[in-house]
Amino acid sequence: MPDPLIALGTAVLIITLAAFLFWPEHGWLARWRQTNQLNERIRSEDALKHIHKFEMKGRRPTLESISGALNNSQNDTAQLIAAMQANNFLTVADGEIHLTPQGRDSALHIIRAHRLWERYLAEETGFQQSEWHGQAELAEHRLTPAQADALAFHLGNPTHDPHGDPIPTADGALVAHGGQPLTTLPLDSPGLIVHLEDEPEVIYAQLAAEDLHPGMVVRVTESAPERVRFWSNGDEHLVAPIVAGNISVIPLPEDEMEEDTDGCERLTCLSPGETAVVVNISNASRGPERRRFMDLGILPGTSITAEMRSPGGDPTAYIIRGALIALRHEQANLIKVKKTGD
Amino acid sequence: MNIKLQTPAPDACASCPAHHIGNLLRLGVNMENWDYVVALAGNPNTGKSTVFNALTGLRQHTGNWPGKTVTRAEGGYSYGDNRYKIVDLPGTYSLLSTSMDEEVARDFILFGRPDVTVIVVDSTRLERNLNLALQVLEITDRAVLCLNLIDEARRHGLQVDERRLARDLGVPVVPTAARQDEGLQELLKAIHEVATGQFVCKPHRIKNEAPAIKRALAQLVPQLEAAFPNLPNARWVALRLLDGDQRIVKAIQNGEFGDLNAHAPVQPETNLELQLEVVS
Amino acid sequence: MTVQTGATQAILETADSLRWQIGREFHEHLMEDIYTDATHIADRAVTRPDEKPRFDLDRTIDRLVTSRIFGFPLMILLFTIVFWLTISGANVPSSWLATLLLDTIHPLLKQGAAAIGMPWWLDGFLIDGMYLATAWVVSVMLPPMAIFFPLFTLLEDFGYLPRVAFNLDNAFKKSGAHGKQALSMMMGFGCNAAGVVATRVIDSPRERLIAIITNNFALCNGRWPTQILIASIFIGGLVPAYLGGLISALSVVAIALLGVLFTFLVSWSLSRTLLKGEVSTFSLELPPYRPPRIWQTIYTSVIDRTLIVLWRAITFAMPAGAVIWLTANVTIGGTSVVEYVINFLNPLGILVGLNGVILVAYIFAIPANEIVIPTILMLTVLVTGAGGGAGAGVMFELESQADTLALFYADGWTLLTAVNLMLFSLIHNPCSTTIYTIYKETGSKKWTAVASLLPVVMGFVVTFFVAQIWRLVAGIG
Repeated sequence: MPDPLIALGTAVLIITLAAFLFWPEHGWLARWRQTNQLNERIRSEDALKHIHKFEMKGRRPTLESISGALNNSQNDTAQLIAAMQANNFLTVADGEIHLTPQGRDSALHIIRAHRLWERYLAEETGFQQSEWHGQAELAEHRLTPAQADALAFHLGNPTHDPHGDPIPTADGALVAHGGQPLTTLPLDSPGLIVHLEDEPEVIYAQLAAEDLHPGMVVRVTESAPERVRFWSNGDEHLVAPIVAGNISVIPLPEDEMEEDTDGCERLTCLSPGETAVVVNISNASRGPERRRFMDLGILPGTSITAEMRSPGGDPTAYIIRGALIALRHEQANLIKVKKTGD
Repeated sequence: MNIKLQTPAPDACASCPAHHIGNLLRLGVNMENWDYVVALAGNPNTGKSTVFNALTGLRQHTGNWPGKTVTRAEGGYSYGDNRYKIVDLPGTYSLLSTSMDEEVARDFILFGRPDVTVIVVDSTRLERNLNLALQVLEITDRAVLCLNLIDEARRHGLQVDERRLARDLGVPVVPTAARQDEGLQELLKAIHEVATGQFVCKPHRIKNEAPAIKRALAQLVPQLEAAFPNLPNARWVALRLLDGDQRIVKAIQNGEFGDLNAHAPVQPETNLELQLEVVS
Repeated sequence: MTVQTGATQAILETADSLRWQIGREFHEHLMEDIYTDATHIADRAVTRPDEKPRFDLDRTIDRLVTSRIFGFPLMILLFTIVFWLTISGANVPSSWLATLLLDTIHPLLKQGAAAIGMPWWLDGFLIDGMYLATAWVVSVMLPPMAIFFPLFTLLEDFGYLPRVAFNLDNAFKKSGAHGKQALSMMMGFGCNAAGVVATRVIDSPRERLIAIITNNFALCNGRWPTQILIASIFIGGLVPAYLGGLISALSVVAIALLGVLFTFLVSWSLSRTLLKGEVSTFSLELPPYRPPRIWQTIYTSVIDRTLIVLWRAITFAMPAGAVIWLTANVTIGGTSVVEYVINFLNPLGILVGLNGVILVAYIFAIPANEIVIPTILMLTVLVTGAGGGAGAGVMFELESQADTLALFYADGWTLLTAVNLMLFSLIHNPCSTTIYTIYKETGSKKWTAVASLLPVVMGFVVTFFVAQIWRLVAGIG
């Protein structure tokens, strides 16, 4: 029998080593994979995406903007652009960079793959909203056009990604969302969120944390150089203008603005015995969960009574269309209601 | 908007079985030695399995748990001179979502075209159960509504006007208490009448679509009806296409709807869409 | 008639372009339309005596079973009763069955075989191997299951179990699991295979996989006898006789609770690593209470659960018995095959505080954990050459606990061996019936492999560390 101390030491050593090598995201294997990702093709695809985005916005891509987007030195970027020129992806004339038709096709494929993958993550997996973009950044380079088509078919040819961006069709048609930045929306007039910019990630994380989603109606109450204050679905949001600028809205006619926000509450605020009527299901709820809510009959106008709370504090059972259904706090929080006096 | 539904092809006799032998075989149901096939659909925990057991004399375990039947069971019985095969579908709240269970139940009704679909509902919570019933009636016009647990409803003082319900839904409605063997003879008779065409259902179809949906349907439904003249539920198929249901898209592409020669023998495919657990 | 491909293509194209026009809220609108009609039709057909949304009796029962004060005590009380009825009620029929199958029929069969002049190897293979293993599994397994499952089913029929899930959901939620896992876990205390089947009521894919993979940590009926025997002869023996029963019972309960702890820990880490991307939705319907139908429940639960599980166990136990007998009786160079395997595994066994015999017994017991103790006894006698056994490849149990203890000490067992055996019995691969059930339920080789290998790896890790630390602290070899 080996000496226990030696055995113990060896085991601890092996476990430490294994953790060092295989730990998710920070382990040696994960890092090696990440660096390996950054090969020439991927940089070129990222550059295509960047140029396409600038073209769509009517801005002019430059060497600086590309190297900024790729997080690359300008020398490397210049080399990359030369290589892409040789591959007939873009033309450079008078310092202006333009995509060739071939380059545009490639860029659209990358965007299509990216948005399809985000849609897939949102609809059919349990990954958190903040994880979608990062995963799609990797998947977009992996998916071949045929795989993207198969995925689109599997998802029922979706039209928009979860951020509200239209997904280019297989033949490259791209419908712009047609929104304007929230900062340009006149004070006190309603607008509909059509798109949330998912780059840079730091700002998107703030948008996600504010629980904002395409399809929500907003109304700006204050727009100052240091902050923008607006209401959406009964919650007040206070963000920096740079964050608000990443929210695209289309103005709505006045009467489509939802009812005044004071009475609007969430299902969670009902105490046992109280009844409320559903206003809507938050856009944060999507995919299987949202469909399940609707199958249970949780729809605008449905009357819901809180019946009893679990002795563990959560979940709470509600009477929904005659059936007693338990919902967890996070779920009930996704359901906007209006309390009714009995 | 009312879209005129296709009546059965002129050469089909009223009392002939309506089920789709080819698709049934593909779904794993062999119809040799059986005259009619009856599907049992319903929400979880409505006593669907109890009805199944009462009709077939089998003793499948039924529990007071929403969602007990996960594997399907099939059994059979005779009524009059006819032999009925009965298939217990998984209990679901809806046929519109994408869970495995719902797909199994939906595919069976849609492609197998059972001669009768019995929709088992809980009389004490009718509103919620009618959600599924209305969806089934969108797909098939050969259905019987089994108003189960009527004893519980009575015990709690609820009165269900089954005649009015039958008129509103356009299908026979039979109150039953399967745990007490109550109403089963009437249920068997109703199934028989629908199967043999003595009772022709005029099922309720969902109205009040938004204008945009109406416009879309007006465009899509005629196209579908032109391509698949025998399709009993073109409107529903159109709605599914508009919802982006890839299973339906696939069915359109590979002609599962177009196979009009319903009674021609078809070899079962090696990969069955639906695995049935035979308990008889 | 065949439909032209052109026509189908045109339909799909029309549908796709229309989808851009009808907007993203389509599904919602459709559901609203359906429910509007459903409400309308239901309102016309149903007359309510008053505007009561729920029925008084249901409401009263719910108030009680989910109350802050009585909810948990009531639950503990009910399950204690169920387990107590199972354990105490199963003792008598279990010993009847053992007397009948092991002490009466087995000798009769041997006599019969001798009378017709059956060769010793055929007689040993069929009667000592296949028959004995099966008889053992039946006598240990059948009575508790025939009591436990109907009781459980009665609670289920009444509608109480969803309330248990409701009460416990918060605890399970914290480890990324579903409240209904409480039920599959509880069922797992009866039989893991039945527990795995019971996860069907969990309709969220991620939580269901978690419940399936962790069900093995519920100490099943086949493992209780091992725990009880080892606890009473080794741990109960540490304290004065009058405390022995209590202490050994407590140590078995501690092992079972450790299993619950592992369930939570493994659920927590699975939901954050391997199963991170799986879909997760929660829904729990609390059905109305219904008076249970006692006779029908007993009938169906015996047919449905008990007999099916038993049948599967028998089909696996029979070949296992045959293999055990063969490996103990086929010799190469005067040493039986099984002894080679034991000697090969012994260093590994000793390293993790067990021994080769125990590891081999656990390999043999993959089909059914019930035969662990008889196999260990048989192999120990074979290895030590001590008297008292029933012959090579013939399972047996000793009448007196003192004899058993003496036999184990003769093979070099220590308290560490006993503790680690109890731990390993809790944390090792599921039995083959359960593995097969997991495969049938998940339909995935990957998850079946995870569910089978994860616990056995964990078992080795846990016993390894316990052994090393024990030896360091105790300063013994």
